Amino acid sequence: MLGHDRVGLGWRPELAAGILANLDRVDLVEVIADDYVGAGRRELRALRTLAIQVPLVLHGVSLGLASAAPVDGRRLDALARVVGAVEPQAWSEHLAFVRSGGLELGHLAAPPRRDATLGGLAANVARARAIVGSAPALENVATLIDPPGSDRDEPAWLADAVAATGGELLLDLHNLHANAVNFGFDAHAALARLPLARVRFVHVAGGAWIGNDGGRRRVLDDHRHDVPAPVFDLLADLAARTPNPLTVIVERDGDYPPIEHLLAELDRARSALAGGRARVAA
Amino acid sequence: MSASLETYLARLYLDADARRAFAADPRGAAARAGLDETDVAALEQIDHAGLELTARSLQAKREARPRRGWLARLLARWCLR
Repeated sequence: MLGHDRVGLGWRPELAAGILANLDRVDLVEVIADDYVGAGRRELRALRTLAIQVPLVLHGVSLGLASAAPVDGRRLDALARVVGAVEPQAWSEHLAFVRSGGLELGHLAAPPRRDATLGGLAANVARARAIVGSAPALENVATLIDPPGSDRDEPAWLADAVAATGGELLLDLHNLHANAVNFGFDAHAALARLPLARVRFVHVAGGAWIGNDGGRRRVLDDHRHDVPAPVFDLLADLAARTPNPLTVIVERDGDYPPIEHLLAELDRARSALAGGRARVAA
Repeated sequence: MSASLETYLARLYLDADARRAFAADPRGAAARAGLDETDVAALEQIDHAGLELTARSLQAKREARPRRGWLARLLARWCLR
């Protein structure tokens, strides 16, 4: 195995002081790139200072790359400015659409998993690579509806997306878990079908049960709860299946617990990684 | 065309009236939106409960989304000075 596994935390204003006070236990931070679009030079310099102190990656949430429609060039220009100023180790975006036909969803939606979307995705990622200077790792998204118009399942879609773009997959294990629960497939079997050689970055998070459609409940990926045990099991499974050094980010976006609680989640992620690596060595 | 399907899905996710009209007559509503037969047929099979949950979830996430740009930057500056 080249390199080593790392475990970090999503940089949020509410967590900033706790992270900076515990940099010996946080291997890296992931910053929401969109928070810095439109920022002034002083703000970007501050973020660059953070990137010098601790390894930093940027995470985009609003490009809408997985769409048959072209990505907005102005958004890419703005992102390129942030990436250029901050010099992150990597950046990422979602396999989602967030707007179409002048309608802004304001959040991520799973696109139809089919060739037309793949073609749009490949063109959008190529444009992003040209403007930003590097390609994003592409993250699988959670969904509460099986995307209408799809002609393939999620593992096939993710493999096709990576092949079409030549990029990397940012594997969100809670999203995989949520979709497996919501649509009745085995998350570990799905994991085995993914292009794991192209996975270096991983997200873990928690969610909540919602709905009661004839007794059928679903998992909402809300990032407001602890990482559940099945997600750590998936992380161990992933570590056993790939020799790649993995960078794992714990995401939390509300109902913030004390920083010590989140640091314990980072430690649990490290244990899961070590457990998976040990399985291979045995 | 997939872009049209995306636009129609976006409308369904955003507009409760559009969802009501669609629920009453999925085929007719999708066809009137100009979708081709493949997409109309796909939408006839839609998971209506999942559609409603998705719409509610997107609305909740829009409403809960912190306008954190200035706050994130201010805190970063404060923490790093």
